[in-house]
Amino acid sequence: MSPRDTIVVTGIGAVSGFGWGTAALWQGLSAGRHAIRDFDRFDHRRHRTHVAAQVPAPPDTVADAAGDTASLADAFAVAAADEALRQAGLRRAIPGLRGAGAGVFFGSSTGGMFESEGFFEALLGERGSRRLRLHELLSQPPSGPGDAVARAFGVRGPVQTISSACASATLAIGIALESLREGETEVALAGGSDSLCRLTFAGFNSLRSVDAGPCRPFRHLREGLSLGEGGAVLVLETLAHAEARGARPLAIVAGAGGSCDAHHMTAPDPSGVGVVRAIRAALADAEVEADAVSFVNAHGTGTPLNDAAEWAALSEVFGARAGQIPVTSTKGNLGHFLGSAGAIEAVATVLCLEHGAVHPTPGDGPIDPASPVDLVLGAPRAVPTDAVALSTNFAFGGSNAAAVFRGWPQAAGSPA
Amino acid sequence: MRSAVVITGLGTLGAFGVGREALSQVLASGQPPRLTTIDRAAGFHRPSGSRGAFLLGSRDLSALVSPATARRMGAPSRMALAAARLAVSDAGILETDPAFAETAVVISTAFGPALFTERLLSSIFKEGPETASPALFTESVASAAASQVALNLKARGPSLTVTQREAGDWIALGEGARLVRTGRARRALVGSVEEMTPLLHAILDRFHTLATADESGEEVARPLDRDRRGVVAAEGSTLLVLESESEAAARGAKPLCRIVATGAGFDPTAPDNGFGADPEGLGETLRRGIERSGRRLHEIDLIASGAAGSIAGDRLEVLALATAWRAAEASLPVLWAPKSALGEWGGGHLAAAVLAVSGAALGPTHGYRTLDPELGVAPYDGRPLAAPKLCLATSVAAGGSMSWSLLEAVI
Repeated sequence: MSPRDTIVVTGIGAVSGFGWGTAALWQGLSAGRHAIRDFDRFDHRRHRTHVAAQVPAPPDTVADAAGDTASLADAFAVAAADEALRQAGLRRAIPGLRGAGAGVFFGSSTGGMFESEGFFEALLGERGSRRLRLHELLSQPPSGPGDAVARAFGVRGPVQTISSACASATLAIGIALESLREGETEVALAGGSDSLCRLTFAGFNSLRSVDAGPCRPFRHLREGLSLGEGGAVLVLETLAHAEARGARPLAIVAGAGGSCDAHHMTAPDPSGVGVVRAIRAALADAEVEADAVSFVNAHGTGTPLNDAAEWAALSEVFGARAGQIPVTSTKGNLGHFLGSAGAIEAVATVLCLEHGAVHPTPGDGPIDPASPVDLVLGAPRAVPTDAVALSTNFAFGGSNAAAVFRGWPQAAGSPA
Repeated sequence: MRSAVVITGLGTLGAFGVGREALSQVLASGQPPRLTTIDRAAGFHRPSGSRGAFLLGSRDLSALVSPATARRMGAPSRMALAAARLAVSDAGILETDPAFAETAVVISTAFGPALFTERLLSSIFKEGPETASPALFTESVASAAASQVALNLKARGPSLTVTQREAGDWIALGEGARLVRTGRARRALVGSVEEMTPLLHAILDRFHTLATADESGEEVARPLDRDRRGVVAAEGSTLLVLESESEAAARGAKPLCRIVATGAGFDPTAPDNGFGADPEGLGETLRRGIERSGRRLHEIDLIASGAAGSIAGDRLEVLALATAWRAAEASLPVLWAPKSALGEWGGGHLAAAVLAVSGAALGPTHGYRTLDPELGVAPYDGRPLAAPKLCLATSVAAGGSMSWSLLEAVI
C-alpha cells in the first residue's frame, strides 16, 4: 500500500429532476422512477423531441443563497453545496479553515447559457438597443456555478472549472482528489451544475442523438439520450482531517483516471479502448483490481453508439465477469446532466454504497443482446456496504473519465 | 523523488505573428502589433466605445493545419492545433512519436468558441431549432479545441479544458504539470486559446472592460498607470510541451524553464462579473502557496503580472502582490506587464513569462506614463535587467479567481 492519504466523502448534496435534496434523489432512484417528461423550461414545440428531466421549482425551505443575478445552474450548485456542507458539518466553518483551506472543483458544460440565451434572443430582436439586460450574461461562463459556490461559502483556496463536455465533473473529482492528496487543499467541494438550455437541446437533436421518449440505456431498441439538469456536490477531505473534526465518512473516493479516444469529434471509439484506459487508470490509482469491482454506474447515455462502446470497454476490463457485474445508469432516471453528469452520478453512487443497494435503471424493452450488461431492473440490488463502485463518463471529442468509490461500512443504514 | 516538470516546447500565434520568434520581437521592443479595427456593423457597440483588438487576422495557417482539416473547425480549434504543432516541433518531437499515446492535452479558454456559439444561437432563434447545424454544435463546445488537438496529434492521455476566465491559463499549466508529476501522463500539451468576435468585443465594451481612445486618439492598455482605462481585447493561442526533467534529459531536449510550483486562490468578495475587494486575502493565499512550495518570496527576481490595464483588476493584483511581499518583509521585484503589448489574452501571458525566464530580451511596458499613487508600483521600464532566475506569473480574474505559477530558469 502507498502511504497516500485516504480521501473520504463526508457530505453530499443534489438538485435533480426528482427535486431539491438527496432524500428526494434516493427516493426516486431506489423506486426505479424517472423524471423525464414534458417540460416548460422553454418553448420546445419546434424542437424535434419534447421530453427532458427538468428540476421542479424549489421548495420554500431552500434558501436562495446564490443571489439575485444567479443563473439556474448557479442556484442548483449553491443549493447542492449547502446541503453537502451541512451534512459534513462544515456549513459555517469553511472560511475559518486553517492551513491549506478549501477549494472548489467543478464541471459544467454551459454554466448560465440558459440565461445568456435570453440576452441573445433580445439582441436579435432589439439590435442596437440599450435596453438589453446585460446582467443575463453575468453568469454565462461555465465557471459561473463553481464561482457561485465559492462566493456563497467564503472559499479562499483554488476554484477550478473543467468544461470537457460530459466528462467534466468526473475529471473535476479527479483533480479534487489530487489536490487533497498533495495537501493543496484540506477540504474540496467537488461537483458540477448545468441547466437545460435551447443550445444543447437543439444541438443534440441536430445530431439525432435524443430519444423521442425517456432514454433507454442498454436496451435493444434504444434511440438516444434524454437531457436533464441539476447540480450535485460532494465534500471531500482526508480521512485524518475528517476524523480530527469528528466527521462521519460516507464513502471513500479511491481513485480516478482519464484518457482521450482521439478517434472522432462526436462518436466514441467503438472498440472502447480509450474508455478501457480511463477505467484502468482509475483502478490503478485506487489500487483496486478489476475483480474487486462490485457494481458500475455506467455513462449509459442510451445512444446506440455510446452503450455499445461502453459494453466493449467493460468486456475488455472485466472479461467473462462483464455480464455479471450489476450495472446501473442514473441517466435512465434523470437524463443527461452533460458537464455535471459525473457529479450527480457520483452522488448517486455514494447513496448506493451507503444503502448497500444499487439503484434500478428505468426504461422499456429488453436488454440489447449485443451489449448484455447485467442492468439492475425493477428493484434495488443488494451489494456489500464496503463494495467497490466504478463510475464512468465519456464526452464529445473523446475525453473519458472514471472514478472508483468504496463504501464506508459504518455509514450503512444512516443515509442522508 | 519525482523528477521536476519542465517546459521543452513553445508554440504561439497571435496578432504579432506566428511562432516564438515573432513574439520575442514584440517582447524585446515592448511595442504592440497593429490594432485591427473591429467590425461594428452589428450595431451593438457603444458609439464612443472601443474600436480595436489584437486579432490574428487572415494569417495563413495552412502549413500547420491543412485546409481539409481546417474546414471542420472553428477558429479556436484551428489556432490551438497550429500552436500545438509549433510547440511539438519546437520541442524536437516528431508527430509519429509513440509517446503521444500517453500525452495529455490541457487547454484553457475564457470564452470558448464564441463565433460558432453565436451562429448556432442565431440559427436557433432566427430560423428555428430545426435548422441547428450539427457541425456548429460540435465545434461550439468549450472543449472543441482540446479535442481537435488530441484527435489530430493522436494524444491519448487525459483531455481537459479549463474555463476559469483570466485565471484559467495558469490553472491549466498547473493541471498539466500535475498530470506529468503524478505519472498520469508522460507529456502534456498545455496552453490557452481565445478568439475575439465582433459580438464578444461589443459585449466586453458594454461592460466597460475595454480601453477606449484617449486624448491622442489611441486605444492603449496602460497596465498600472494612473490613467489606465481598460484592456485591449486580443485573440490567439499558445501551447507548451511539458514533460519530466528526466524524460527531457533522456531525449537530449533543452528545457525552456522548470515549473517549480503552481497554485490558485479565490476572493469571495468578488461579484460574479467583477473583481473582488480583498487583495489582502489573495495576497495571503499567494504567500502561503509559494512558501509551501519550499521557495521564499525573496528569491523571486521577476513578476510577470497579468495586469492588462483594467482599473479594478490591476489594482487587485498589485495590492495582493504587495500584501504578500510585505508579509514576507521583502521588496517587490521587477514587475513586468506583458499584456501591455499583447492585450488581454492569457496565452500571450503564458508564452511571455516562459520566454522571459528562458532568457528572452524584455522591452519597456508600453503605454505606462504616470505612477498610480494607490498602487505605488511602476512596471518594468526597459532598463538593463539581469536574466531572471525565478519568475512568478500571476493573474486575477473577474468572478474571484487568482492563479499563479513559479517558473525557474534552467541553467
